[in-house]
Amino acid sequence: MTKTNHSAVREKFIESARDSKILAKKCDDCNTIRIATVLYCENCHGSKYNLLEYPGIGYVNTFTIHTVPPEGFEDVDGYAWVVFTLDDVSIRASGFLPGIKKPADLPIGSKVKVTGFDAKHGLVLKKI
Amino acid sequence: MRIIVFELSNIFIIQPINYAVENVCILGAGSTKYGKLNESIIEIALSASVDAIESAGISPTDIKAGYISNVFGVADKQVHIAPVIMSNLGISHVPGLTIESACGSGSVMFREAFANIRAGFYDCVLALGVEKITHTGTTQSTTLFSYCSDFFYEGGNGASFPGLFASIARAYMTKYKADEEDLANVAVKNHENGLLNPKAHMRKKITVEDVLNSPVVASPLKLYDCCPFSDGASALILCNENFAKKSGKPYIQVIGSGRGGSQAAVQGRKDISTIPGTVIAANQAYQMAGILPKDVDFAEVHDCFTIAEIIDVEDLGFFKKGKAAREIRDGATSRKGKIPINPSGGLKSKGHPIGATGIGQIVEVFEQFSGQAGERTIKDAEIALTHNFGATGASAAVHIFKKVN
Repeated sequence: MTKTNHSAVREKFIESARDSKILAKKCDDCNTIRIATVLYCENCHGSKYNLLEYPGIGYVNTFTIHTVPPEGFEDVDGYAWVVFTLDDVSIRASGFLPGIKKPADLPIGSKVKVTGFDAKHGLVLKKI
Repeated sequence: MRIIVFELSNIFIIQPINYAVENVCILGAGSTKYGKLNESIIEIALSASVDAIESAGISPTDIKAGYISNVFGVADKQVHIAPVIMSNLGISHVPGLTIESACGSGSVMFREAFANIRAGFYDCVLALGVEKITHTGTTQSTTLFSYCSDFFYEGGNGASFPGLFASIARAYMTKYKADEEDLANVAVKNHENGLLNPKAHMRKKITVEDVLNSPVVASPLKLYDCCPFSDGASALILCNENFAKKSGKPYIQVIGSGRGGSQAAVQGRKDISTIPGTVIAANQAYQMAGILPKDVDFAEVHDCFTIAEIIDVEDLGFFKKGKAAREIRDGATSRKGKIPINPSGGLKSKGHPIGATGIGQIVEVFEQFSGQAGERTIKDAEIALTHNFGATGASAAVHIFKKVN
């Protein structure tokens, strides 16, 4: 059982992403796995958990390609914002996937991998 | 009944407060035009407030509390708006509360005003929504809106609001085999309605081809799939039934109110093609009103993007999941269809001043039920529903109204 200072969880999530992993929590009471930044179990509302790292590899559920990006992303020559499900556990994450210029470049179900966490662009993905 | 005594300017007043459940009515409504407005945020807020006060036939001194919804007041150098409004209405002693829930701010605020009348705390309140954003320009507006997302996972990873709804659209289209023309049909219908609304932001007839040929903003959403950034203010006077009856003015009744929530980040939702907060709020509102979706005569729903309206009308129970696109194509949601949706033009055509939108929807209901909707009047309508949410549906509210003859 782990008790984590919640303010530190995001930093841990970022550290894991920099290591190409997604940080998750497994509920001690019901074994439900959730993304690490969610404090209480959504199934049984328990607060006890184990932190687990999963390989940041998964498949694309949905995505978009921005023509009008928000501030900080104007200088990127084509990117997708992607929601993906991890291969090893049924949890979703989302991230920034550069180099995608048209929808045909990223069919639903495409494989993606976490490659890092960038101060400017957040969770960075790569199509594999 | 309980009696409380309080002091006002050294005069002691004994005021009865009845904590029984009260029927809640809307006695007056007012709204500015939606669009690019030159006046300050306070000026447009006051303009809508005065219209509502005059519409209700009351004096500002009848108002016992002010509820104000606003998101980006900081962009027009004014936060803590409620006491500024109260002061400028000459009732600075009246308590005000400013509420923010992104694009759902108006309806979330309305719920608080409703609850306070219903609980008997006040007999008459002002509910005012206001937004002033267009002066910031597209890039800054897009950025400010992205702050309404779960920024760590969404805005911070490059998702704009059109981008978030585009990802929802792609998930829906993949699951239910809908296409871009299905999205376009929503825009065409709402622009047709907006043509009849003198206060609408985008009064322009468009075709499916116009939508499909408009520039892509975030694939698969194009420019005409997106509502505009708008300035505007809308206001209502809420009161209990006794107050409404005594006024001798026409009024409508609020018969259902529901609030729901969804995972703030799209990634956390089990099914990306539905908005759980809408379903929760709708169920509560239907239950309170004692009606079913089939009993609703028309609805104003949150069509910030065309895909949102398709998902809304399914989540509200008007159509089965995956069937709305076909129904919309067949005219079921047009003004003369079986369930008219957004006769005002919706966010898509009427505009989306985000702090005001939820109140503006109710202004439309008030105008429909009080013979002020002109050519866009839904014939013989007696029950109406409004649906409004913040961000991608993280905070949602549904309200149901009854015409009082």
